[in-house]
Amino acid sequence: MSSRDTILATLRANRPDPAAHELPPVAVLGDMDAGKARFEDALQLLGGQILLPQEGDTLATAIARRFPDAKIICSAVPDFEGTIRLEDVTSPQQAAATDVLVVRSPFGISEMGSIFLSEAQLNSLNSAAHLTQHIVVILSEKNLTANMHTAYVERPEFHTANYGVLMTGPSATADIQGVLIRGAQGVRSLSVWWE
Amino acid sequence: MKVKPVNHAKAAEEFLDDAPHLTFHDERLWDMRQKRDQQMHLLPEWQELRSRASAIKEHTLANLPEYLEQFEANAKKNGIHVHWAADGAEHNRIVGEILEKHGAKSLIKSKSMVTEECDMRAYLEPRGVTVTETDLGERIQQLDGQMPSHIVVPAVHKLVPDVAKIFAKNYNTDPNDNSPQSLAESQRMAARPVILTADAGMTGGNFLVAETGTFVVCTNEGNADLSATVPNLHIATLGIERIVPRMADMGVFIRLLSRSALGSPITQYTTHFRGPQKGGEMHIVLVDNGRSARLGMEEFWTSLKCIRCGACMNTCPVYRRSGGLSYGAVYSGPIGAIIDPTFNERKYSTLPFASTMNGSCTNVCPVKINIHEQLYKWRRVLAEHHELPFVKREIMHMAGKLMGQPTLYRTAINGTEVALSTLPRFVLYNWLNPWGKHRELPHPVKQTFHSWYKKNRLKDKKESQGGKA
Ligand code: SF4
Repeated sequence: MSSRDTILATLRANRPDPAAHELPPVAVLGDMDAGKARFEDALQLLGGQILLPQEGDTLATAIARRFPDAKIICSAVPDFEGTIRLEDVTSPQQAAATDVLVVRSPFGISEMGSIFLSEAQLNSLNSAAHLTQHIVVILSEKNLTANMHTAYVERPEFHTANYGVLMTGPSATADIQGVLIRGAQGVRSLSVWWE
Repeated sequence: MKVKPVNHAKAAEEFLDDAPHLTFHDERLWDMRQKRDQQMHLLPEWQELRSRASAIKEHTLANLPEYLEQFEANAKKNGIHVHWAADGAEHNRIVGEILEKHGAKSLIKSKSMVTEECDMRAYLEPRGVTVTETDLGERIQQLDGQMPSHIVVPAVHKLVPDVAKIFAKNYNTDPNDNSPQSLAESQRMAARPVILTADAGMTGGNFLVAETGTFVVCTNEGNADLSATVPNLHIATLGIERIVPRMADMGVFIRLLSRSALGSPITQYTTHFRGPQKGGEMHIVLVDNGRSARLGMEEFWTSLKCIRCGACMNTCPVYRRSGGLSYGAVYSGPIGAIIDPTFNERKYSTLPFASTMNGSCTNVCPVKINIHEQLYKWRRVLAEHHELPFVKREIMHMAGKLMGQPTLYRTAINGTEVALSTLPRFVLYNWLNPWGKHRELPHPVKQTFHSWYKKNRLKDKKESQGGKA
């Protein structure tokens, strides 16, 4: 018998009575506020930032001000130029030189301040989201969902994307003597730009 | 040759003798516990979430074969290669074969307790595969030749100078670097080129979703996503118990996991893998390694509900004061003490005694495992199956050591929880509990023993007639 069949047979023999353990209905609990203020508070708690426009700012001028030293600004969106387009980045090795990646997220989660990205937003170069030093995420307030329950119930992406990441602020670690460090191995900063 | 039981007490003693490490360890973990409490208080639905999580897990475990089959079918449909491993040896063989087929010599991996269970690095490295842990804490442990001491924060028992020394030796950095920031940056700089040139990537995983054939990985450093997306070959290893039925169930678990673990609402990365990336190949190894047998243990099967948040470790006074390595097992703390004996009953026979039975672990567990009751049940089982003298001697030794250093109870916990701050009495009371006849005592606590003895003499006499003690 294969290990698969042995394991399944043992589980069948050993399991507790299924009739005694019913599956509860899907839970949708908690605060249903899908607002921008809640999202921003949650994002900032986890070290994310809001890229705030100043008088007359475009995304380009805001990025230039926020990342004055950035040389390679890679755009994954049609409405922002950057210095290179993600479609022209062909390998992770090339993506690793990126200073700032600009992407558009299909939805955010107010409870957590999380944004979602999948291969659809990353032109199938998923590593680009993690190799870039910084990431700027364009998000629309109308695409906010209240919390983790509503996100999983409502968003089709969890059933369609091969790679789907919820990013909540930048990479972080507290592995050295408990000191929280933002900017561990993935992005050093994550900023949200409201559109 | 008979396996020697882990000498938890002796290992803990060494840890206890090192005041700066002990103090930091104790306070850091207690801080994580307090942050968890703060998060809990923000959610009026917290207890409801725990009940749901527990019910979903119990249902899934009772229907595990069906859900695993459903997962397998969906994952295959999405192009994932699904493998089944009965034990660690088979797991390692499967991973080794996949790597060999691809001629992969360099493997980058994120933290996975299952690969620790299987001792995978020790298998792959002699076969010419360089395995690089990319999680900072796990990497520190790898470079230091130690097991992770905590399932969430693997190097929590180390201080900055320890890390500086290890990095200096391996990364040629300043041995006197006392900045955690610059040390973390050294890791980033050292890891990046290895990541960019690796032949294969490996991750663990926190959840399997039967409905979609997805596995979900919750991390903070970004290293897991790098390991999974930079190389074109991604192998994931998960225990067969990590499954939930529906994608919509993930809401309950994600809301509980990081809040319980670190006191942060969510991990920085929550990643859903449903199929290989463009041009890539994806494998998943479903590991049994004793789990299917555990499912048949009437008193212990619910330990399979565990989502490995580590909250029971952070809250445990014995864990905080003895350090994870003293358990001598892959899993330490209260959860380790109830699952390690299922891997090797003799070797881990002392671990269920490393508890004050204060019940705090059970109270914080997000999936409502009755941890302290299982600890008690294990004591009975072990007392029936094994020679008592060794176990008893070790317990007494540990108790004596703890009792002998009242400053160890100082603490972090003062005034917050009565049960925890009265550790000495609890330690004594409960460690002696299964041995009603025991007469010797560490002298500093004679008084307490006498009052305990008076109170419990009759009850314990009765119990000891039933057992083999
Ligand atoms: S037993 Fe409960 S508290 Fe402990 S690690 Fe598992 S889920 Fe977390």
